[in-house]
Amino acid sequence: MMRVSLSLILCALLAACSRSPERTLTIAVNAGVEGTALKLAAKEWGASKGVQVEVVELPYANLFEKEQLDLTSKTGAYDVIMLDDPWFPLMLESGSIAPLPHTLDADFVASCVEVCKDPKHPGAQYAVPYVGNSQLFFYRKDLFAKYNLTAPQTWDEVLAAAKKIGAGEKMFGYVMRAAPGNAAVADYMGLLWAFGGDVLDASGNPVCDSPAAIDALKFMLELGKYSPPGYAGFNADEVSAHLLQSTALMSINWPAWIAAMDDASKSKVVGKIDFTPMPSERVHGVGELGTWIVAVPAASKHAADAFDFIFWATDAPQMKQAALRGNPPTRRSVFQSPDLVAKFRAFPAQLASLESARARPRTSHWNEIENTFGIYISKANSGAMDPASAMHAAAAEIARIQQRAK
Amino acid sequence: MKSRIPSGLPWVLPALLILVTLSIYPMIYSVKVSITDASGAFTLANFIRLFQDRLFGAAAVQTTVLTLVALVIEFVLGLALAVLIDSLARARSVFRAGLLVPMLLPPVVAAVAWRLIYNPQFGVLNGTLRRIGVNTAPLTWTSGENSALLSVILVDVWEWTPFLFLLLSAGLQAIPPEPIEAARIDGAGAWRIFRDVTLPLLKPTVLLALLLRAMDLVRIFDQIFILTQGGPGTATETVSLYIYRTAFRFSNFGYAAAMSFVLLAATIVFSRGLMRLMRAR
Repeated sequence: MMRVSLSLILCALLAACSRSPERTLTIAVNAGVEGTALKLAAKEWGASKGVQVEVVELPYANLFEKEQLDLTSKTGAYDVIMLDDPWFPLMLESGSIAPLPHTLDADFVASCVEVCKDPKHPGAQYAVPYVGNSQLFFYRKDLFAKYNLTAPQTWDEVLAAAKKIGAGEKMFGYVMRAAPGNAAVADYMGLLWAFGGDVLDASGNPVCDSPAAIDALKFMLELGKYSPPGYAGFNADEVSAHLLQSTALMSINWPAWIAAMDDASKSKVVGKIDFTPMPSERVHGVGELGTWIVAVPAASKHAADAFDFIFWATDAPQMKQAALRGNPPTRRSVFQSPDLVAKFRAFPAQLASLESARARPRTSHWNEIENTFGIYISKANSGAMDPASAMHAAAAEIARIQQRAK
Repeated sequence: MKSRIPSGLPWVLPALLILVTLSIYPMIYSVKVSITDASGAFTLANFIRLFQDRLFGAAAVQTTVLTLVALVIEFVLGLALAVLIDSLARARSVFRAGLLVPMLLPPVVAAVAWRLIYNPQFGVLNGTLRRIGVNTAPLTWTSGENSALLSVILVDVWEWTPFLFLLLSAGLQAIPPEPIEAARIDGAGAWRIFRDVTLPLLKPTVLLALLLRAMDLVRIFDQIFILTQGGPGTATETVSLYIYRTAFRFSNFGYAAAMSFVLLAATIVFSRGLMRLMRAR
């Protein structure tokens, strides 16, 4: 009896040891429309491959913290991470992102592919672009038509329309966000680039105190005269609320808000807003790129499955599904798909904007630089500093950040 | 031979292990991170940087102003409410329960609600003022360079005055009636009794209330993060917010740890000063 019992226990132990470990994939996604599409895709992929998928949804601010902590400590808590492109240079720095096993095909929009590379060693690709976000210019086409105006091509035309239509319709001619940090920088960059300025030069030195940059900030303040009071504390929510409530005429905004503009339950301007690429001024206007990309941490214990998933989720049929779920694609063929163009009227403008969109300076210290830069843009907009002093102070602070980093 | 291991050790060991793992080890690790550079070599660069960093300086000033102003307002209001409600013969418990409502809300929920209330165009505050004929055009509350800090203080006063009221009210009820009766028999008026009898007897509670509230105010984070994100510019940037950004946005844990220790030291100094001040009087 004893022998039989021991044999049974031994057999059970051997069976337990010989069982292959359960295949699981842990994915960190942004809690929002971008992450929802990837979450649904992950569940479909998991069901088809027999892999258990665990999706960790985190708000934007926490997503960066959790992912960065996982990458620096190399714990391998996540097998796939979804991230905003400005975070990528810092995340690549510690060598904790696995390079892609093969290069991306030519169907991906080039600007989106660029941010998947290591800025210090361009060549190898480390991520796949998933959400093709770039800034667009939102304007009231019905009111522009009423005043016999066409879509603004330059910032001077934007200002002229803000004055004319704003006064005529007793509404705010423009609305922007200038809360410190990312918000202020995002709404200033389009102006800065159109005026021919930049934050850093090719060597990484601050040039945000150039005459072009100061002129761009002065122009921002001029636009601020036609914006709602308190815009110096505005974020995306307040900007979009003014458009949705028909109290403002124009703004820079992100594609994620397009659906809300045409949603009668939220919007008083259904079908009245049109979308164009960013206006020009001294040079051709470009929007800021805000691509969501997906990557595999080097410490992932399920790298083969992780790569299989990210390539599957970003192939053309799956990206079409993601587009139907509300995500702007990163593939040209999906943007040009006739049934999607019929469904999403902004797709041609989105593709045009995405093709020319510029990434934020690709430095691992961008978060700190953006924070500092945003503080001084916000100070100028709130009247605490004049534009020239604000930009000189910003350049000096950015130089200190660069110096410390050396 | 008697065992040298204390007999109670096995019982406190789990708690001790949790304390070491979650508090003592991270504290030691923070010290190490703050005094070493990326290569692991000893450096005081993080502490030296504190004296050169304008953003830290601005945040320290803002934190001090916010703490002192909010503390004074909350204490005066909390004490006034405690005395007033303590003197009520009826409905005391109803008022007490009603006053506690703001404190029971999670700070994040309260901040989100106030963000909506403060909205210059769509908010209920300016909407109400407009209805009674006030020109609200310049009232941008959280977006104004001069009004942003005041707006944050107002939210804190609304939410945390009930905490001081609760402690001071409990303190008032613990005062024995005899000294007050004796003073009244000796002919002292209400103000004299309050100043010379009630307040001195309430001193230990006042000290505790001020200390707890001051420590909480020094590390204020959630309301500001939601209401203003430190802006406009740096008008409402506090040390806690700056520490959070430095650690979790800029991934500079060494500098964030150095700032945390300075904040801790400042809190200890402030607390000791407050205790001495209270004992001296």
